[in-house]
Amino acid sequence: MSSYVKAAAGAVVLMLLAAGAIFLYAPTDALQGPVQRIFYLHVSSAVAAFGCFAVVLIGGVIYLRNESVTADRFARAGALVGVLFTTVTLVMGMLWAKPVWGSFWAWDARLTSTLVLWIIYAGYLLVRRLAEPGRQAARLAAVVGIFGFIDVPVVYYSVTWWRTQHPGPVIVSNALPPEMLSTFLFTMACTVALAAVMIVIRYRIETLLDTKQTSTEPAKVLASREPSGLAGRAR
Amino acid sequence: MSFVVANALTHRFGHEVALDSVDLVLDSGEHMAVLGENGAGKTTLLRIIATALRPTSGKLEIGGLDGFHERRRLRGYIGFVAHAVGLYPALSAVENLEFFCDLYDVSHVRADEALETVGLAAEGQKAASDLSRGMQQRLAIARAILHNPRLLVLDEPDASLGADAADVLGRVMHGRTVVLSTHDHALASRLCPRTLVLRHGRSVGTATHLRVVR
Amino acid sequence: MNPVRVAFAVTRKDIRSEWRTREMVPALAQFVVLALVIANFGFQIDSRNAPSIAPGILWMALVFAGLVAFGRTFAAEREQASLEAVLMTPASPVAIFAGKAMAATILLVVCEAVMLPAMSLFFGTPFSAAVVGAVLLATIGMAALGCMFAAIVARIRARELLLPLLTLPLWIPFVIAGGQAVQSAMGLSGGYDNAMALLLDFDILFVVLTSLAARFVLDE
Repeated sequence: MSSYVKAAAGAVVLMLLAAGAIFLYAPTDALQGPVQRIFYLHVSSAVAAFGCFAVVLIGGVIYLRNESVTADRFARAGALVGVLFTTVTLVMGMLWAKPVWGSFWAWDARLTSTLVLWIIYAGYLLVRRLAEPGRQAARLAAVVGIFGFIDVPVVYYSVTWWRTQHPGPVIVSNALPPEMLSTFLFTMACTVALAAVMIVIRYRIETLLDTKQTSTEPAKVLASREPSGLAGRAR
Repeated sequence: MSFVVANALTHRFGHEVALDSVDLVLDSGEHMAVLGENGAGKTTLLRIIATALRPTSGKLEIGGLDGFHERRRLRGYIGFVAHAVGLYPALSAVENLEFFCDLYDVSHVRADEALETVGLAAEGQKAASDLSRGMQQRLAIARAILHNPRLLVLDEPDASLGADAADVLGRVMHGRTVVLSTHDHALASRLCPRTLVLRHGRSVGTATHLRVVR
Repeated sequence: MNPVRVAFAVTRKDIRSEWRTREMVPALAQFVVLALVIANFGFQIDSRNAPSIAPGILWMALVFAGLVAFGRTFAAEREQASLEAVLMTPASPVAIFAGKAMAATILLVVCEAVMLPAMSLFFGTPFSAAVVGAVLLATIGMAALGCMFAAIVARIRARELLLPLLTLPLWIPFVIAGGQAVQSAMGLSGGYDNAMALLLDFDILFVVLTSLAARFVLDE
């Protein structure tokens, strides 16, 4: 069994344990009832997504400094996994909001900024897909990833900066009973581990894609691509 | 004294190899023609030598400076005429050149001198879009010599230059190290003592013009 | 090499080209006026609801006019293959970027000079220094970001599609703060000074960041 399979299996086991903690160990919320259990994975996914985007940021900065292909591959992997976890966060949040707020969506600062976060990194992935693979694509995407990260603190602080419908920071304000807190911390650790495993696997995939790209034999020859066009276009 | 030293220049676009381990040494003041079919890698090689394109691998040194790390400094010594003329259609010939004088940090007087050299002095006030294709090519050549470069890289400069192509090119090439690509073997042998032939991105030999008949 | 001279040379060149061809400004000005006309049908604007609706329309029109203006400034250089010639000079890419951004900003400001009076003419909203100040302040930061993404997408396929996708999310702060400032300048509640301070903060943040990034975006 390869180490990747072992890591993946480990992550699955961790997530199952987290599910056990969420549904069997944690007490039912007095006010919201069972719906509250969404909170554990919802917040954990958001934390994991932030971590992934931090990988994109750091990878981008390192790439711009020394063109390290490793850093760029980690950035690519981080963006993909990060978008995935942002999706999970948004979907979980909407499922929670329907019974509690009465609607799936509200134009609230945190919801909106999270949606914007999703759009920014989806744009990053589009840049990677549409740009000619190579140094240029990596450099342009690194800039996009660095600028995109500006939205991460905005999402985090949105509940403090603006008056929002979204619940405030329950963890740092110490508002959780101990069983809920320990369930949350465990779930968060498991989710972050899952994200890390996914990034490592995706990194491996990106490496294989890159080598496939550069080592196809026999070499085909191609006219060089250059900007075309004349000054004297008829107007 | 070698001025341009290129070592194992290789360039890939995706997984397609455009240039495959080409070596090249040019002495100061030497003129070299690069010949080859369409798609043989001429443009790629010239763009790399002009520092417009960074090779996937390989090393380039110009005047003892690294072709990548010192590229910004080197560009003050290199004149490049690319395939596309890259002029501003709405500006006159002189305005096009004066703009580049500002970028090269040289006096506007150079604009008139360069126009004179390529035989466009009478056309200076015409908008670039009103010039014929051949005149646009001359203007692009004039732009490449504004800063009196030591190295001149010309990608098929004769393509639309007309009957006196050899005269114009002879004038701008005089006293400079030159790499030039062309399909015109007669012109190449007239202007350049040395020739490099590319096929499928590989160098298939350098020669004096006498031996390259085709 | 004097970067200021380079930047002004680039700006002058762009403005002169635009003056000769008159390609963008008339089209953009028509576009923003048309946006007001369309909005009038969409929202049934009258003198009572104008102050609450007009700022939204203003920013929508401005955002889309800006996308076109900033997109064009690099796309045209790409199509003419002139950007490469510019980058082949020893001039600093940051100065070149600054010059292009200044030129695009001037073009957008000209559009705004058409749009703001037209807006007050059609909708009866006040045309005051407060409104103009908010719009101009937002334009600076929007131009820095817009030009940077325009330079990025100029090298990518499907650039017309990608430019709004990348730019709009990061313009949101300007639309929020700018909308707030204009609303309060048009007589609705809301802190004008706060919004202006926020705009200034974002201007500084993005002008600094884009000038750091310009080197990586423009260089081969």
